[in-house]
Amino acid sequence: MCGINGLHAYHYAANPIDRAELVRTRDHMAARGPDGSGEWIAQNGRTGFGHRRLSIIDLTSGGAQPMTSADGQLVVTFNGEIYNYRELRRDLEGSGHVFQSRSDTEVLLHLYAEQGAAMVRALRGMFAFAIWDQRNDTLFLARDPYGIKPLYYADDGWTFRFASQVKALLAGGALSRDPDPAGLTGFYLFGSVPEPFTCWRAIRSLPAGTTLTVDRTGASAPNRYHSVAAIYRQGEAAWWPAADAAGLVRTALLDSVRCHLVADVPVGAFLSAGIDSGALVGLMRDAGADDIQTITIGFEEFRGKPEDETGIARELAARYGTRHTTRMVTRAEFEADLPRIVEAMDQPSIDGINTWFVSKAARELGLKVAISGLGGDELLGGYPSFRDIPRWVRALFLPAHIPLLGRGVRLAVSRMTGALAVSPKAAGLLELGGSAAGAYLLKRGLFMPWELSQVLDRETIGEGLRRLDPLRLIGREIGGREIGSRPRSAFGRVATLESCLYMRNQLLRDTDWASMAHGLEVRVPLVDSVLLSRLAPCAGRFGQTTGKQVLASAPTRPLPGAIASRAKTGFTTPVGGWVRDAAGDCSPGSRPASIPGRPWARDWSVYVGERMQVAH
Amino acid sequence: MNLLALLTDGFGADGGIAAYNRNLMTAVAQSAAANEIVVLPRFGDRAAALPPRVVQLPAAPGRAAWIARAIAIATRRRFDAIFCGHLNAAPLAAWLARLTSRPLWIQAHGVEAWSPRGSMARHALEQARLVTAVSRHTRARLLGWSNIDPSRVRVLPNTVDAVFASDTMARAGDELADLIARHGLQGKRIILTVGRLSRAEGYKGQDRVIEALPDVLRRCPDAMYLVVGSGDDAPRLRQIVRQFGMEQNVVFAGYVGATELPAYIKLAHVFAMPSSGEGFGIVFLEAVASGRPVIAGNRDGSRDALADGALGTLIDPDSRAQLAAAMIAGLEGRLTINPAGAARFAFANFARHVDELVRHHL
Repeated sequence: MCGINGLHAYHYAANPIDRAELVRTRDHMAARGPDGSGEWIAQNGRTGFGHRRLSIIDLTSGGAQPMTSADGQLVVTFNGEIYNYRELRRDLEGSGHVFQSRSDTEVLLHLYAEQGAAMVRALRGMFAFAIWDQRNDTLFLARDPYGIKPLYYADDGWTFRFASQVKALLAGGALSRDPDPAGLTGFYLFGSVPEPFTCWRAIRSLPAGTTLTVDRTGASAPNRYHSVAAIYRQGEAAWWPAADAAGLVRTALLDSVRCHLVADVPVGAFLSAGIDSGALVGLMRDAGADDIQTITIGFEEFRGKPEDETGIARELAARYGTRHTTRMVTRAEFEADLPRIVEAMDQPSIDGINTWFVSKAARELGLKVAISGLGGDELLGGYPSFRDIPRWVRALFLPAHIPLLGRGVRLAVSRMTGALAVSPKAAGLLELGGSAAGAYLLKRGLFMPWELSQVLDRETIGEGLRRLDPLRLIGREIGGREIGSRPRSAFGRVATLESCLYMRNQLLRDTDWASMAHGLEVRVPLVDSVLLSRLAPCAGRFGQTTGKQVLASAPTRPLPGAIASRAKTGFTTPVGGWVRDAAGDCSPGSRPASIPGRPWARDWSVYVGERMQVAH
Repeated sequence: MNLLALLTDGFGADGGIAAYNRNLMTAVAQSAAANEIVVLPRFGDRAAALPPRVVQLPAAPGRAAWIARAIAIATRRRFDAIFCGHLNAAPLAAWLARLTSRPLWIQAHGVEAWSPRGSMARHALEQARLVTAVSRHTRARLLGWSNIDPSRVRVLPNTVDAVFASDTMARAGDELADLIARHGLQGKRIILTVGRLSRAEGYKGQDRVIEALPDVLRRCPDAMYLVVGSGDDAPRLRQIVRQFGMEQNVVFAGYVGATELPAYIKLAHVFAMPSSGEGFGIVFLEAVASGRPVIAGNRDGSRDALADGALGTLIDPDSRAQLAAAMIAGLEGRLTINPAGAARFAFANFARHVDELVRHHL
C-alpha cells in the first residue's frame, strides 16, 4: 500500500517533464508511504515515475520502487498487494525468469514481459500500477477488478499524468482547477463522486477492472478486463446444487482470508459486533494466524445502550483468542481531527469518519495492515436493497412505462404540504422505481435529481446531469445494452450495483483515504475477484439472511447464534450527530431537508462540498 | 485507405485554415495507410499544385452546391473514412458517415470549437472516431461542452514553414532596408504584431499593445509599434492610438502577403500578440523560428505555440503592467530567444503523428 505517480510527455510538441512537479505530486502523498520514497526519470527526460513506500512485503531495499527490470526495458511503480505473487513467481521461474528481490512488485515486471497487457488477468489482489515499456514507447496502467486501490489520471493532449490521489495531481501545479459539473452533481446525487468523474474536469479516475495504454499520440480509452456483472451472469449459467453450497462457500472464504494474510509484518483486524468482521477473525484463526490484534471503536454516548458494539466485540475477541483493544472516541477528538479529516478526504464524501478513527487506533497500536469486513453486505446480500429493489421493479414496471405518468405524479405529490407531505424519494417512486437503475437511485440517492437546486446552481445541474447521465451510469454497471453480460437474477443485479457503485465509489474510496492518512493498509478479503467467481454460482440462493448465516458459520468455531441473528444496525454511531452539528457551520439558510435513515447525511454533504471547493 | 476530405479551404485558398489543411492532407497522403485523398473544398484553386495521391475536386463556394456535391460524391464512391475540416460542416459529415457506415474524423481549429454548439454539432462530435484539435486549449474547451470520449480527441498542432528558419532569413537582408524606409522606421526599435484586424474576432490584442505603449516609451523612447494586417477593426484601433497620443509611435502597415511576411518579422525587435482567442497562432511559431523574442497571452492556444514558455514569454493578456514589462525586456534583449526550439513543430514530426493517427486510431 503506497502512493504512486508519474508524468509522461508523449506528444512530440511537449516539453520534457518537470522533475519538481513529479516530486510535488509524489510528496503530497507522504502519508500513504511514510517508509521511503523513490523516483525514476527516463534518460530522454520525457517519462518519470514517483513512489512513496509503505513496506509490507520484502522490507529490504530490494522492494524499493520505482523498480526497473534487469534489462532496463521495463519500469514499474505499484500501489497495492498481489496476494498470489508466490505462485506467479514460481511459474515465471519455471519458464526461465530470474528474480532479484522477494517483492511482489518484481513479479509484475516479469509477468508483463511475458504476457503484456493480458497479465492483469493473472493477478489476485488489490492494485494500481503503471509500467513504462521502453521497447515500444508505451505507458501501461492497470487497476484491480473492484477498484480497491485508486488511480487518477489527466491527459492534456501533450502530457499524461497519473497519481493515487486527485489532490496530489492538483498539487503538481500544472493542471487546470476547473470544476467538473458531472463530478459535483454525482457527489450530491450519490454522496460520493462516481467514477470515471472527479470534481475536476482535467482529472478522471481509471475505472476499476480496466487498463489504459498511452502511445506516442495519446491515451487510449480504458479497456475493461473484468466485469462484476459478467461474473454473476457466468455464475448463473453454472448454478450449484444447494447441498454443496455451504461447504464450497466456506472453502472459498477461507482461501480468500488465507491469501489476504500474506505479509512480512503483523496483520490485525477491525472488529465490530457484526457478522462480517467476526467471521473473518474466526477464519483468520482457521488460516493459521495465531497472534491477532483486533480493534473496536467505542463511544461514551452509547455506553450501556443496544448500539454499543464494544461488549460483543470483546466477547468475539475472547472467543477467537485475539489481543483486543477497545479505543474510545470522543466528540472532542472528532472536533479536533475534523480539519485533518477534510484535508485527507481526497474527493468529497459523506462517509469515512469511522474508518478514520479505527485506522488511527490501529496505527497507534503499531499495525501497518488490518483486515476489514467491508464487502460482506454486497457479496452476501446483507442490505435491504436486495429485498426492496426487486420488489419495486416488479410492482412498478408497468406504470413506470406509461409516458409522463411518473413525472406527473411526482410533480403533483411534491406540491402536497402539511400532513399530506411526502418525502422526495417517495414522490419519485413511480417515476424511477420501475427499472433496476431508477430503483437503485431511489434507494441510494442522497438528493434526487429534482432536488439538486437546493445545493447547486442551475447551470451546473444542467451540465452535470447531461454529462453524468445518472440512470445510464447505473445501468451500464449491470451490462447496459450488452445482454450477454447482464445478470439474470435480481440478486445478481443488486449485488452488482451495490458492488460497482456504493462499495466502489463510496466505501472503498473512504477506506482508502481514511486509512492511508494514517499509513495503514486495509485489506478486504470479502472484496476479491476469485472469491466472487467461486461464489457467483450460488449467489441466487443468498436471501437477506442466508448469505450472512453461511458466513457466520464458516469458521471452524462459528459465530455465536446471538450474534449471527443480530439485526443489522447500520451506521449507528454518534458520528452522525457530530457531523450534523459540525455541518451546522455551513451557509445558513442553505440547509437542505433531511432524509429518513440518514438525517445527518445531507447537511454533512453540504459542509464537505463547501469545504472541498473552498480549499481547492 | 481512401479518404473523402470535406474542407472549407482547400489547396489554393488563403489563410491559416487553408495552410493547416494543406499540411494535413499532404501528411495523410504520405501515410503508408493512404491510397487516395479526395478533397472537396468550398474555396480553392483548381490550378493549385497537389501532392501525390491527392485529388482536389472543383471548389463549390455556394453552401447548397457544396452540400449537394458532398452527398453525391460520398454516396457514389466508396471511401474508407470521411474527414471534416470544420465544425460547421460536422453535422453533414456525420450524416454522410452514418449513411455510408464509415468512420468520421473531425478537425477542430480554434474559437469555433470553444463554446457550446447546437445539439447537431455535439452529436456529430460524439459520433466521431477521431477528433484532432490544433491545441490543448481547443481540446479542453471542446471536451468541456461535448460528451465525446477524451481518448478520441488528439492534439495535432500547426507546423512551421522552413522559410522562417533563421538561416533562410539571411536572404531577406536587402528587403529590410526597403521596408525601414517605406515605413519610416530608421533608428527605431520595433514591436510587431501580425494578425487580422477583425472587429468580430477582436481578440488579437493590438489594442492592449497600444495601451501599454506609453509605459514602454518612458523606458525606450525609440520604440515603434508596427501593426501588420488589415480588417474592419482598423478604425477602432486608430481611435485608440489617437486617444493615447501615440500617432508618432504606431504604424499600420496593412495587409502583407506570404512572400513579404518573413522580412517583416525579421524587422521586429520583439513580436507581441497578447491575444486571448488563438486556436494556436502559427505566426508565433514563425516569429520564434525567425529568432525573434515573442510575447503571447497565457490563456489560449498561444501556450502551445510557445510551448508553455519554452519558446517565448507568456503573460496575462489583461495585465498592462506584465505586457509593458515584457515588451521593455524584449526591446532590451532580455527575453528568451529559441529559434532552434521551433524545430519541434517541423513538418516531419507532424507527418509522423498523422501517420500514427491514421493507422491506429481511425
